[in-house]
Amino acid sequence: MIRRSISNMSIKKKYFHIIASLITVVLLTGIGLFIYIHAEQTRMNHNQEVLQNKADTINEMAVTLNDVFFRVRGYSLLKNSNELKQAYESLDKLRDVLENYSALKLSPEEASFKEHLSTFVDQYQNVTLPKAIGFVEQDDYTSLRALAAEGNTQAVNEFLAYTKQYNMRSDKLLSDMVDLSLKRANEFTLLAFGLCTLLLLLFTLMIWRILKILIDPIVRLEGATNSLAAGEAVMIGKLHKQDEIGRLYEAFLNMAHSIQDKEEELMMQNEELLAQQDELQDQQFRLERSLGEIESMMKALDQSSAVAILSPKGVFTYANANMSEYTGYKNHELIGFTFRLLDLKNMEAARMQQIVGKLSTGGVWSDEVQLGMKNGAPVWLHMTIMPYLNDEGQVYQYILIANNITSMKNVQQKLAETLQKTEQTKIMLERSNQLNHDITYTLDKQEFAEKFIEFMNRQYAFDSSVFFLVKDQITVVRGVPQENVDRYLGSEGGDMLYRMQTEKSYITRRPATIREQGIAPEPVLSYDFYSTVVNAENEVIAVFCGTRIGYSFNDEEVNEIQGMMNRVGLAIERLFMYEEIEHGRRLNRDIVNNVNEGIQFVQMDGGMLQMNQALAQLFDYHEWSEGDLIPLEGWSGHFTRMANESEELGQFYQKAMSEHFIDSSSMKYSIGKDPLKHVDMYAIPVFRRETRFGTLFVHRDITREYELDLMKSELVSTVSHELRTPLSSVLGFTELLLSKTMKPEKQLKYLETIHREAQRLTDLINDFLDLQRMESGTQQYCQQPLNLSELVMGVIDQYKVGGTHNFLFEDEASNAEVEVDRDKIVQVMTNLLSNAIKFSPGASEIKVSLHNEAERIIVQIQDHGLGIPKNQIGQLFQKFRRVDNSASKRIGGTGLGLAICKEIIEKQKGSIGIESEEGEGSTVWFSLPVLHSPGSRHEDEPMKPSPGKYQKPNVMIVEDDYSLSLLLSEELKGKGFRVTHHYHPQQAFEQALKTPFVAIVVDLMLGEELDGWDLIRMLKNDERTEHVPIVISSALDKTDKNMMDNVEKYLTKPYPPNELTGTLQEIVNIRQGTGEVLFPDSGHTGEQE
Amino acid sequence: MQKVLIVDDEDVLRMLIEDTLEDLEEVELHTAENGREAMTKLSMNAFDLVILDYMMPELTGIEVLGLLSEEVKAATPILMLTAKAQEGDRSRARDAGARYFMPKPFSPMELLQIVEGILGDQKKH
Repeated sequence: MIRRSISNMSIKKKYFHIIASLITVVLLTGIGLFIYIHAEQTRMNHNQEVLQNKADTINEMAVTLNDVFFRVRGYSLLKNSNELKQAYESLDKLRDVLENYSALKLSPEEASFKEHLSTFVDQYQNVTLPKAIGFVEQDDYTSLRALAAEGNTQAVNEFLAYTKQYNMRSDKLLSDMVDLSLKRANEFTLLAFGLCTLLLLLFTLMIWRILKILIDPIVRLEGATNSLAAGEAVMIGKLHKQDEIGRLYEAFLNMAHSIQDKEEELMMQNEELLAQQDELQDQQFRLERSLGEIESMMKALDQSSAVAILSPKGVFTYANANMSEYTGYKNHELIGFTFRLLDLKNMEAARMQQIVGKLSTGGVWSDEVQLGMKNGAPVWLHMTIMPYLNDEGQVYQYILIANNITSMKNVQQKLAETLQKTEQTKIMLERSNQLNHDITYTLDKQEFAEKFIEFMNRQYAFDSSVFFLVKDQITVVRGVPQENVDRYLGSEGGDMLYRMQTEKSYITRRPATIREQGIAPEPVLSYDFYSTVVNAENEVIAVFCGTRIGYSFNDEEVNEIQGMMNRVGLAIERLFMYEEIEHGRRLNRDIVNNVNEGIQFVQMDGGMLQMNQALAQLFDYHEWSEGDLIPLEGWSGHFTRMANESEELGQFYQKAMSEHFIDSSSMKYSIGKDPLKHVDMYAIPVFRRETRFGTLFVHRDITREYELDLMKSELVSTVSHELRTPLSSVLGFTELLLSKTMKPEKQLKYLETIHREAQRLTDLINDFLDLQRMESGTQQYCQQPLNLSELVMGVIDQYKVGGTHNFLFEDEASNAEVEVDRDKIVQVMTNLLSNAIKFSPGASEIKVSLHNEAERIIVQIQDHGLGIPKNQIGQLFQKFRRVDNSASKRIGGTGLGLAICKEIIEKQKGSIGIESEEGEGSTVWFSLPVLHSPGSRHEDEPMKPSPGKYQKPNVMIVEDDYSLSLLLSEELKGKGFRVTHHYHPQQAFEQALKTPFVAIVVDLMLGEELDGWDLIRMLKNDERTEHVPIVISSALDKTDKNMMDNVEKYLTKPYPPNELTGTLQEIVNIRQGTGEVLFPDSGHTGEQE
Repeated sequence: MQKVLIVDDEDVLRMLIEDTLEDLEEVELHTAENGREAMTKLSMNAFDLVILDYMMPELTGIEVLGLLSEEVKAATPILMLTAKAQEGDRSRARDAGARYFMPKPFSPMELLQIVEGILGDQKKH
């Protein structure tokens, strides 16, 4: 890889690398040498310096020592202390130098020398010198000399000698050193030279190598180029190099290849050219042959077609014989003339322009044209014009070729005409077919008539038409207003119809009406075509009349229309028949559907062919619709499932549908749960021509009968039970009376019991018969207008007399006029009051009140008795229903009373109801519609009899003796008063506040709490009632004179009733101030009693 | 002393039955005016005969029989007295445990005879 990459590197790069590395080596070697030489020199210099230093130091020591001796001699000689001092200094200096010397690197010899010297110096300084000094001072020079002789001088001399020797030695060392360095320098020079030589050698080698690499391929290339030039194949191998040479090599190879390829191509082209030349020659030959053919073709063309040449301006320059023949112009008549000579038919200027435009731009035009010959005869030519263009694209001539296609054209035209006729016939036929279809499938006469007239108008192009179906008076009109036709048929239609009896069809001609004339300037005639349709009995059943303006009818049309009318006649008859059948079918269906019984017809195979709505509802089965045939499994499953007696019903169906079933039979089943329906079903086999055809099932809903039956048997059972109880008593006690002996009291008691029970039986039977009569609707109601409050009061009065209960009567009704059966309402009131008394055994109060409520008067009877349990209230109005508890059982009764009341009230457009709380008491109410709208008697307004409208004056009687009060009120009512009863003073007072009375009749002995006087006091003390006149009716004599001022009249019982009326009438007269009695006589007021 | 319970909601009939039976010797007559009262009395005393009305408010004769335990019914002859004299009533009464049945209206003398017979049988037991 690395090798490869190097060989692929460019030469420039490669040699740059080599040269760079060479220079680096030289530089590094040089630097290394320099550093080495430098270091050597430095070391030698240093050694030199050390040597020099030692030599110098020894020299200095010698000098200093000499100086010391010199100074000491000087001292000894001169005795000069200064000299001594200096000697000492030099001595010190010597010591310093010694020290310096010892600091240097010393050889062992030098070291001993130094030791020796320092010892000497110490000796000298410390011993010798002081001794010497002493001798000097003592001037003992002898001793001195002795001392000097002792050796000092010798040591010094030795020392000096050594110094001298040393100096010489160090000089010699120095000179040796220089010699060495010189020798070294020589060695280096030699080494450098050697290196340089080596480098030069390397360089030369390299260059030689480069040259070898470069030149080798170039030489090969040269060879290749030469061979290429010589036209030989270049046979050099690939050079697997990617450098410049490699690329050059490759480029050269490519060039060589491409040159070779091109050469081959050129060769091939040359060959091709040769082939083409051959072909051209061949073509030329063929062309010549074609030219010959064309010439003969031209000749043929000349024979068969007209050929002409036109100048660019359209001038004939050549025309052949055919041209003359087709156009009728002789040759010389054409040449020199423009094409406009020819009479082109149906050629508009615009088209011509277009054609010329097309031709002038070099287009070829070809078409069929009709032109007139010279003699005017038309001729059809198929013409082709070709423009010839010169090199500039300009037309220089036109060639015209034309063929005579006149005969072909004529045939074509004839063909087209025939085709059109066929098309028309086809349309007619289609219309006829459509009519036939319509006639066949239209079942509605109106629709049929519309379709027919539509057809006629299209087929025979009538401007207006009428189709009239005589029997149904259906008229269909086209093209004229309907009313015109109606008018015509109304007035002159009779004539037309009369004529139609004898003539089946006729045509009338008449001048057109203004509308028909339209914008035509000339007088126009209109033609009316009348045609009839008659049935088998020769009766006219339809008339058709069509009008054409301006043109009549040909025989063919008349015949056709007549034929058409015959067909229509048949169709109409068929329609009549269909309608009759349809009518019958609908009638049957309606009958079947409107029958209450469910009806079902089933075929022998069980398929259901018919069922009616009643049955569909009964079984909630709506799968069947008219025309369906539902197979057995489709319906019977549903039917039997619906019935509660599924199995029995299934079996019945099966049996009834079997072949052997020939007599009708029936069964009963029930269906549903709530409501439960009872159905009586019977099956009848149906025969058609003595063949069993199917089975008819009739399902009759007998729920009502069933329930009635059930009710009846229940009723019988109840009645028999109700009758047996009192009968038991009657029979039992009678038997006891007959068979036992007993005391007379007991006998009496038994007889009373028997009587009471027998009475109860009678009541029961009466009530029962009453109810029966009412329910059966045979009860007669004798309606008469009466005042309900008076009636109610009358009934209460009966009970008040000798009764155990207190009655409160509250009349708040402003209108109590009703129209009812008096006796029946009395019966109701009696019944309700006796119930109230019976069921409130505690002798408590019973309140009876009247009030109005929207067009009705409501009577309420409220007791505070036993009350009725909630769950039984609803049943109370049913027959034989009594509140079922022991307390009420003891009370007895027929259990029919409330049922009778309900019957009576409801028969008189009223309603009745009970509200009750068990143990609290009950309120029974009934309401009846009032006669007049309320307002005739207003509570707040005082009574004002106005002329023409008489109102009865109100009188209140406050009396606790009921028979007397009844007597009085009868009397007063007979005289035209309205009477209100009260027996309790407080209530009477409250009533007086509400109702304006003309007078109040008061009994003095009323009750325990308040008496008549109290009432009078209350009335007189209230400003609302103080003006009301008071009449006292009392058994007591006048006693309290003080009160008499407040009293109008005092009647002492007994008094004749008319005395009271007289008094009251008087009072009314005085009040009104008229002096005239306005009371009508009793006969006049029949409604009051 | 033998005990007879007369159950009827009608005062008059109770009186009639009482008066019919009053001459029986060594017989104590008790009355109840509805089923509930009858149940109370039956639970407190053993009776030699119960004359029971069929149609009564609150509890009917049949319902009373349904409430009585089998032992009581076995020990006590019951005479059902009813105004319901239709087919089925009699069998219903017998099924409920009434041994004797008498339709209303009834003859007091006949009742007396029957009661004497029943009480005689009871005495033998």
